Amino acid sequence: MTIASRLHGLFPAALPIINKKMRKIRIFGLALKNLRRKLIRTFVLLLLVAVVTGTLLSATIFIIGMKNALRIGTYRLGADVLVVPEKHESQAKAALLSGEPTSFYMDRDVYDAIEHVEGVKKASVQLFIKPTSFTCCYNVETFLVAFDPATDFTVTPWLQKKLVKPLADDEVIAGSSLPVLTDDIIPFFGVPFTVAGTMEPTGMKFFDQSVFMTMEAAYGMAEKSQARAIQPLELEKGKISAVLVQVAEGFTPERVAIRIEHAIEGVKAIASDEVTSTVRRQLAGLLRGILIISVILWILALLMTGFAFYMIVNERQRELGLLRAMGATKAHVFRLIITEAVILSFAGGIAGILAGGGLLSVSQAAVIHSLRLPYLLPSLPVLAELISGALLFAVVTGLLASLLPAVFASSMEPYDAIRKGE
Amino acid sequence: MIEVSDIVKSYMIDGQALHAVNHASFTVRKGEIVSIIGHSGSGKTTLLSLIGGLTRPDSGSVLCDGTDIWRLDDNSRSHFRNRNMSFIYQFASLIPTLTALENILLPTAFGDFSGDVRAYAEALIERVGLKEKIRAYPSHLSGGQQRRIAIARAFINRPSVVLADEPTGDLDEETEQDIIRLFQEMNRELETTFIIVTHTREIAAQAARQLRMSNGILTDAA
Repeated sequence: MTIASRLHGLFPAALPIINKKMRKIRIFGLALKNLRRKLIRTFVLLLLVAVVTGTLLSATIFIIGMKNALRIGTYRLGADVLVVPEKHESQAKAALLSGEPTSFYMDRDVYDAIEHVEGVKKASVQLFIKPTSFTCCYNVETFLVAFDPATDFTVTPWLQKKLVKPLADDEVIAGSSLPVLTDDIIPFFGVPFTVAGTMEPTGMKFFDQSVFMTMEAAYGMAEKSQARAIQPLELEKGKISAVLVQVAEGFTPERVAIRIEHAIEGVKAIASDEVTSTVRRQLAGLLRGILIISVILWILALLMTGFAFYMIVNERQRELGLLRAMGATKAHVFRLIITEAVILSFAGGIAGILAGGGLLSVSQAAVIHSLRLPYLLPSLPVLAELISGALLFAVVTGLLASLLPAVFASSMEPYDAIRKGE
Repeated sequence: MIEVSDIVKSYMIDGQALHAVNHASFTVRKGEIVSIIGHSGSGKTTLLSLIGGLTRPDSGSVLCDGTDIWRLDDNSRSHFRNRNMSFIYQFASLIPTLTALENILLPTAFGDFSGDVRAYAEALIERVGLKEKIRAYPSHLSGGQQRRIAIARAFINRPSVVLADEPTGDLDEETEQDIIRLFQEMNRELETTFIIVTHTREIAAQAARQLRMSNGILTDAA
C-alpha cells in the first residue's frame, strides 16, 4: 500500500476527517502539562497560594467563631444588667466571658433592693461557686452556678428544653463541654449529684463548662460538705453572687445600671454590652492584626506569582511564538497562561483550605485558651460559604497575578517571539 | 498558489533602516517545491515569516490561494495559518512536556478539527518511521527523530503550503537526505507546496526551482 493511498484512505476528499473518535489536544491539558515542566517552581507557587488562602480562611473562621460565641453567649445570658459586689467586677466579667471559676458573695438584701429600682422588669439571683480539688470531670475546669428556678430567666429557659420535670435538689445540668452523660453521678464537695440533662454548645465557657444547680441544692451542698468534704464549702445560707436584671421597656440597660448603683451601696451594675465590650475590643485588635498580615501576605503572593508567570512567559517566548505559528490566536495564548494560573491557584486554594482547616482544628483549643476568648465553630452552611469564598479568593489571586504576563504573552508578534527565544 | 508582491520589511538599527526584505516579488505554483538560498542574515527567514503571516511587512502583499493574508485581522490570519500553513524549523520546536503523538496533535488545540485526528496523527508518525516512538518525549528522541516528528506535525492540518526554515540544519548527511526525500514524497502524494529556506547548495538544488536571497534582495538563482 502506498503512502498516498493510506493517507487518502484516511481522508477521502468528499468526507474529510469525520470520525466520532476524534481526540484533540485541549488548552487545559496543555496548561496542565506546562505546570509539570518545572515542578519545584510550581510547588513553591502552589505553596504560596496555599499559605495565603489557609491563613485567611483559618483566621476568618476563628474570628467568626468568636463573634458567634459572643452573640450566642450574650443572647443566652438573657440579662440586660449584671449586679455583683463592687470589688468583684473583673472576676464576674472573667467568669461570664471565659468561664473562669470564681467565688464571691453578697447579701440577698441586694436582690430585694434591686427589685424596687425603677426600670427593673425582672431580677434573679445566681451563686458562683469555684469547686476545690473535687473536680467532677477529670481535667476539665468546672464552674458551679446555682440559680433560683422560681425567678430565673437566664438559665431555665434553655434548660427546660432538656428536662421533663423541674430540677431537683440532687440534680444538676451539665454544660456541653463536660464529659458526662445524663444519669451520670458526679460529686461536688463530697455530695453526689445526678446529671439531669446537658446544654447545647454556646462557645462560652460560662455555659459550656459549668454545672448548674438550684440555690437550695447549693446551700444543701455547703451544709453537707462540712461533714463529707476534705475542704468544705464555706457558704452561708442567704448569700448570693450576682443578680441578673432584665430592664423594662423604655429603659436602657446603661440607665438602669446607673440607677441600681445609685440606689444600692457596694455593688457594681454591669450592662450586658459592657460585659462583651472588652472582648469586642480585643477581637477588633486581633482582626486588625490578622487583616494587616493577610493583606501583606496577599500582596506578596500576588507579586511573587505575577513575577513567576512573567518569568514563565519570558522563558517560553519561542514556544509561544511557535504556537502562534501553528495557528494559536492571541486569545489562545492568553487563555493558556490564565488557565495555568487558575489550575495552580485552584490547587493551591484546595491545599490551603485543607491545611488551614487542619491547623485550625489542631491549634484552636490552645489559641482560645491562651487568648481567653469565647469560641463557637460557625455552622456548616457558613463554613461551606467560607470555604467557597477562600477557593474563589485563591483563583482570583492567580488570575490577577497572571493577567499582565498573559497580556504580554498574547500581544507578542509571533516572529519576534520565536526570534527572541533563540 | 503563493503570490508575493513587492514586499518590504525593514528594521531600525542604530537609527538606520536596514531592509531585511527589499521589494521581493515571486510566485510559487500549487504543489511546487521552491528553495531560497542565501547566507545567514540575508533575509531568508524574515521573508518566510512574512509569507507565513508571522511578521507584518512594511509594504507589499502575500496572497495564499487568493487570500491576501495581510488584509486579514490577527484572529483570521491565525485561523488561516492553522488551516492552510505549516512551519518546520531548524531548532528543536517540540514541546518538551508533550509526547511525540501529543506534539503532532498540538495544532488541533487551536482550530476546528473534526474527525479522528488521532488516527491521522498515528498514520503520520508511522509515515515518518517513528511508530515505536509514539509515546516518547522529545528528550528521548535524537535530533533527526525530533525533526521527523516536527515534519509529521506540519501535516496534521493537511496544509496547502509548508514553510521550512533550514529544516535539515544540524543533521547528518544521511538524515538530511531522508528528510528531503520525505518532503518530495509528501509533495508528490499530497500536492503540498514547499518553500524551503537553506544556506546549503545541495539541499537547494533538490528543489524544482531555486531563488537566491542576498542583502534582502531576492533573485532567481538559475
